[in-house]
Amino acid sequence: MSVYAIDKLCRDALHDLAFREALKRDPAAAIATRDLSDEEREALLAGDVARLYEWGCHPFLLAYLTRWDLFGITQKIYNERIHTAHDARDDTDTR
Amino acid sequence: MAEIVAGFGMPHTPNFPAHVAREGPHCDVARLYADVAKHLAAVAPDVLIIFTDDHFNTFFLDNFPTFAVGIAEETAGPNDQTPMPRYKVAIPGRLAAHIRTTAIAHGFDIALVQDFEVDHAVLVPLHFLTPQMHIPVVPIFVNALAPPLPSARRCYALGEAVRAAVAEWDKPLRVAVIGSGSFSLEIGGPRIPRGERAAGFPDPEWTKHVQDLLVDARIADLLAEATTARMLRAGNIGGELLNWIAMLGVIGVRKPTAMTPHPGNGHAFGVWRWSAAPASEP
Repeated sequence: MSVYAIDKLCRDALHDLAFREALKRDPAAAIATRDLSDEEREALLAGDVARLYEWGCHPFLLAYLTRWDLFGITQKIYNERIHTAHDARDDTDTR
Repeated sequence: MAEIVAGFGMPHTPNFPAHVAREGPHCDVARLYADVAKHLAAVAPDVLIIFTDDHFNTFFLDNFPTFAVGIAEETAGPNDQTPMPRYKVAIPGRLAAHIRTTAIAHGFDIALVQDFEVDHAVLVPLHFLTPQMHIPVVPIFVNALAPPLPSARRCYALGEAVRAAVAEWDKPLRVAVIGSGSFSLEIGGPRIPRGERAAGFPDPEWTKHVQDLLVDARIADLLAEATTARMLRAGNIGGELLNWIAMLGVIGVRKPTAMTPHPGNGHAFGVWRWSAAPASEP
């Protein structure tokens, strides 16, 4: 369920203004009650979008985080990090 | 008795309304939609059917339908904070229900949604085509974003079921169909460009090839080639081609009246017309 919880968290950052403000103010406190493993919590707080992507979080939702630089993820940082992620499509891409 | 009078395909890029508001009516994006809008006005449809993919706004991953029909008297949006005007859109509820019933009779276990708003995938095209929102719209949702995706053949067959539903409708109605989406688009995944752009168009070759297949009406080839793996190689949003394919299922195998590329973007603007203008048109 945890990948779902991260996807949900990203969605809530878009739709729930109070939650978004809480994320900006104190990210660790804002996600304290979310149903996440320690590893997931750590990856989120570190803004490790490559790992979150590899775990199966939906990139369309992860990309919301850059809109407000949540977890310190600016667009530039996001792009740098996501390029380090393993892209499962490369495994079958025979071009 | 109702008839399909035209088909259209176009992108729904969320920043296009703001882009056109800034750049004015002569910019490329404005002209591309305006050309399609002219064709749409010329065929004077009474109803639009739009194949759309929800971007986790109307639905979420807790309950995400492969196919759904919106059955209500009205919907509104955008519900995803796209920078554009907010609209209310009438839905021909009885026709929408009839489409769902017919599709189920044809073997499509299609979900129902009655109390909902829609995101940019419906409203960006309508913003440019029918900003007065004077033509009621049946939204049909196709899962193009959350694999496993439905197959291209399945989406085409869904379109055929919708065509049968329209043919069986007991009132004379002119119906136009829209497929909304891109062919090559990556958002948030490793195929976005380096630098600071949030989206990329990683597969211009596929974008061109899809257009070529459409221009030549090589629909069987399109259905064979548009596997999930192939579409997603063109970007994690590449499944939106399925909306076009479902639209093609409604109109059948025809060559387009116009197919306009949008260079540098992973999409095109397509128009399929065959019906004469209605007699009432001046």
